[in-house]
Amino acid sequence: MAVGGALGYSLAPILKSRYAGIAKLLKPVANLYASAAGWRKMGLKYDDLIPEESDEVQRALSRLSPRESYDRVFRHRIAFQQSILHKPLPKDQWLPVSEDKRYLTQLIKNVEAEVKEREEWDSLIVERKKGH
Amino acid sequence: MLLSRLQRASRSALRTYATVAEASGVKVAGFEGGSPPATTSITVVVKGGARYESKPGVAHVLKNFAFKSTAGGSALKTARETELYGGVLSSALSREHLYLTAQFLRGDEAHFLELLASVLSSTHYYPHEYAELVLPSIESETLASLASPSTLALDLAHSIAFRRGLGNSLYASPHSPVSAADVKAYAQQAYAKSNIAVLGGGISTDNLAKAVQSAFGGSSSGGSSLSGSTSTYYGGEQRVPLDVHATPGAQPTLIIAFGSAGEAKPELKVLPHLLGGQSSIKWTPGTSPLALIADKVPGSSIKATLYPYSDASLLAVQISAPTSEAVGTLAKEAVQAIKAAGSAKAEEVKKAIAQAKFAEATKFEYSDLFLQTAGPALFSGSIPAPDSSFASLDKVTASALTKSATELFKAKPTVVAVGDLGVLPYADELGF
Repeated sequence: MAVGGALGYSLAPILKSRYAGIAKLLKPVANLYASAAGWRKMGLKYDDLIPEESDEVQRALSRLSPRESYDRVFRHRIAFQQSILHKPLPKDQWLPVSEDKRYLTQLIKNVEAEVKEREEWDSLIVERKKGH
Repeated sequence: MLLSRLQRASRSALRTYATVAEASGVKVAGFEGGSPPATTSITVVVKGGARYESKPGVAHVLKNFAFKSTAGGSALKTARETELYGGVLSSALSREHLYLTAQFLRGDEAHFLELLASVLSSTHYYPHEYAELVLPSIESETLASLASPSTLALDLAHSIAFRRGLGNSLYASPHSPVSAADVKAYAQQAYAKSNIAVLGGGISTDNLAKAVQSAFGGSSSGGSSLSGSTSTYYGGEQRVPLDVHATPGAQPTLIIAFGSAGEAKPELKVLPHLLGGQSSIKWTPGTSPLALIADKVPGSSIKATLYPYSDASLLAVQISAPTSEAVGTLAKEAVQAIKAAGSAKAEEVKKAIAQAKFAEATKFEYSDLFLQTAGPALFSGSIPAPDSSFASLDKVTASALTKSATELFKAKPTVVAVGDLGVLPYADELGF
């Protein structure tokens, strides 16, 4: 299993919750990084890049709606084609920032929570209530 | 003396088997046997069986969606906690009602009622749970029903007899897909407070009412309840090919059924016992006409059963034999016996009445029959004692039986044949 679960480690939640000021300062840098990394130029969403070779992600993928699942495969095929051509899509076909939604992350988190819950129930120690 | 007898009669007519209380808008009744039993069972009776479903199969899906994740926790939590408490959770579906049952050790009613309340009020009906947990169980139940000739024939007999409403199949079918959203919409109607009642065994009505008050108190979903159309009897014929060799233990089956609208009259309750079929004594077929016919072919069985519903009933004679040829010959003889039932002798009627009384009296002693009897009665506000129908059964005479039998058999019969269709007789060949 990947370190930090299927999604890996991220400092973003800690920054957002505890150091909101720093998070706000870093936001333009993060946006710059995201567009420089180039997945949007290939027509992909960020969640298309999550490695899917794990049971949790596979299960999360099976929970996508048929439409989301189809669109994901379609984006991947376009990206593969552009990868073969060694060039990004024409600029008008780049994925708009507004459409780069985390459609899979929450599903993976739900699956991980289920796995964790099962582990907890499996290793439960039952104690007799006082007075019984 | 006459007066005292009258008083006694009126008292027994008024006496009810359990008091029905109302707690937070829900009818509640608890049955406590003589000695305190070690376990308690609580059943939520929902007036939302197959009859009321908005889409074919949605009631079956709702039944299997019980005890999945709710606002109170996941399906896993429900299952593991129930194991820790030493309880059993189950759900069952009939044509008119859906039963959610929790059986547990005495004293745990607070936990389990809360669980039942959360199932009713806050099940999430997640699409992924539907696909991953619910659908496989529905699929196997449907396949099992299709592989069992008697289950299949009875289901088809209902659909031929009543078409819609009571005729709806108890099993979801792959031909009419149901989505999680459909189930959610149906559940909101079915689980409305006016539509449910709580039945307890091994717990007093007072204690149950208190527990229901605290568990159900918060959720005040009035909602509109489901309504079905009144049932009409149609009748007809259905033939289904079945390779009986494919399923071990499956026998070709033929069902001859007669339906009537309205609640089952006492004569109708006596009629299946007059026809008989199953012996109440070991090592002998007994003396009932159907049992004597079934005795001619080893390994065959014929039984007459009355399926009573709130506004209709179906008297079904089910014939099973090792071969389709044998089913054919037995069916023709059974039809003659059914026809002759109208002209039964007085002592035969007497015997049938005694058996009908016994069947009524033991209804509350088997948990499944208990649910089927007491559950629907709970909605009407009182649960009659098991012997309350004795007086009306005693009044059944041979002439009244003849009258209601001729009335019943006048209508078009429902005939369902499952097996080798090249051999099994058609309805008009049976000799009605």
